[in-house]
Amino acid sequence: MSTTEISSEIKLTIYHCNNAFGNDITHNIIDKEKINLKFINMACSSMVKDVFILRAFESGSDGVLVLVCREEGCRYVEGSKRAKKRVERVKKLLDEIKIDPKRLSFFNVSPDNKDATLKIIKEAVINIKNIGPLYSF
Amino acid sequence: MIVGEQKPITEIIEIIAPYKQLLILGCGTCVKTCFAGGEDEVATLASMIRLAFKKDSKEIKIAEQTVERQCENEFIQEAAQNIAKNDAILSLACGAGVQAIAKRFPKVPVLPGINTTFIGIQEQHGIFTEECQGCGNCGLATFGAICPITRCSKKLLNGPCGGSQNGKCEVNANIECAWQLIIDRLTQLGQLSNLRTYIPPKNWRTSISGGPRKLIREDHII
Repeated sequence: MSTTEISSEIKLTIYHCNNAFGNDITHNIIDKEKINLKFINMACSSMVKDVFILRAFESGSDGVLVLVCREEGCRYVEGSKRAKKRVERVKKLLDEIKIDPKRLSFFNVSPDNKDATLKIIKEAVINIKNIGPLYSF
Repeated sequence: MIVGEQKPITEIIEIIAPYKQLLILGCGTCVKTCFAGGEDEVATLASMIRLAFKKDSKEIKIAEQTVERQCENEFIQEAAQNIAKNDAILSLACGAGVQAIAKRFPKVPVLPGINTTFIGIQEQHGIFTEECQGCGNCGLATFGAICPITRCSKKLLNGPCGGSQNGKCEVNANIECAWQLIIDRLTQLGQLSNLRTYIPPKNWRTSISGGPRKLIREDHII
């Protein structure tokens, strides 16, 4: 797992599969936006355990975005499906502790369509900015 | 194995409310296999509790540990130091594990974090089914190793009722008719004649209906 981070007010953690997109996306975002994004690059999105997502919130993230390969394009066959199920479960857990599940989102992306991935990340940032910080104290 | 599922987080938060320093103690055998009380579940629950408390501006310190089995003293001992440092223990073991910890540490409150559900198996990854009710007098040899006490909704011992349809139980179409399974299996084994054996009414004194049970193995007691 490798991470890239810059700082500002709203913080969004992005877990992504290593095969979903390359480092150029993270640089592209960092150059253009003054936002606090933390990219966590994983060998396969199926490594996104429940506790990783929760600990991102614990460590100050206002939102978490999980970006995985297309289901039919997963190099490890069922990694994207597993990640999707985990995210669905964590959304329920967040709801149970009265944290807006919309703070957590999940998308299938393709390394061939970087523009679409960039759009998803930018929309996720806007979404979290609209919801506001997780803790207001 | 013993199958269990984690209690709702709202219930857990309610029972841990009086305590400021909590040890979440996992159990690394049965309840780990059914994703209710192993290391991963301890970590996830600890994180959820911290998030929930922080959201309500409340403070709690949480320690995490998982032992191999909470129902055996030699494994419980590994958690002794951690148990001594905390106000209470939230045990993610089955009911036996919770009580084993409580017996060992009489002055420490021990709270259950999971609901113990049944004795069962992992049918497939993520699906667990009840297979045994621990009746204390196993008759699986007669029934082709399919338990009608557990798997027949009516606990019938001498053949199927008239309500089975297409191999499904009339009580719930999602339940397979245990007697259909028994007949199919005995046919496959060439033991269908087992059904000619009359099974008398079951003596339930060996089950929990006869009161709490105890097994004594004199050969292991010194």
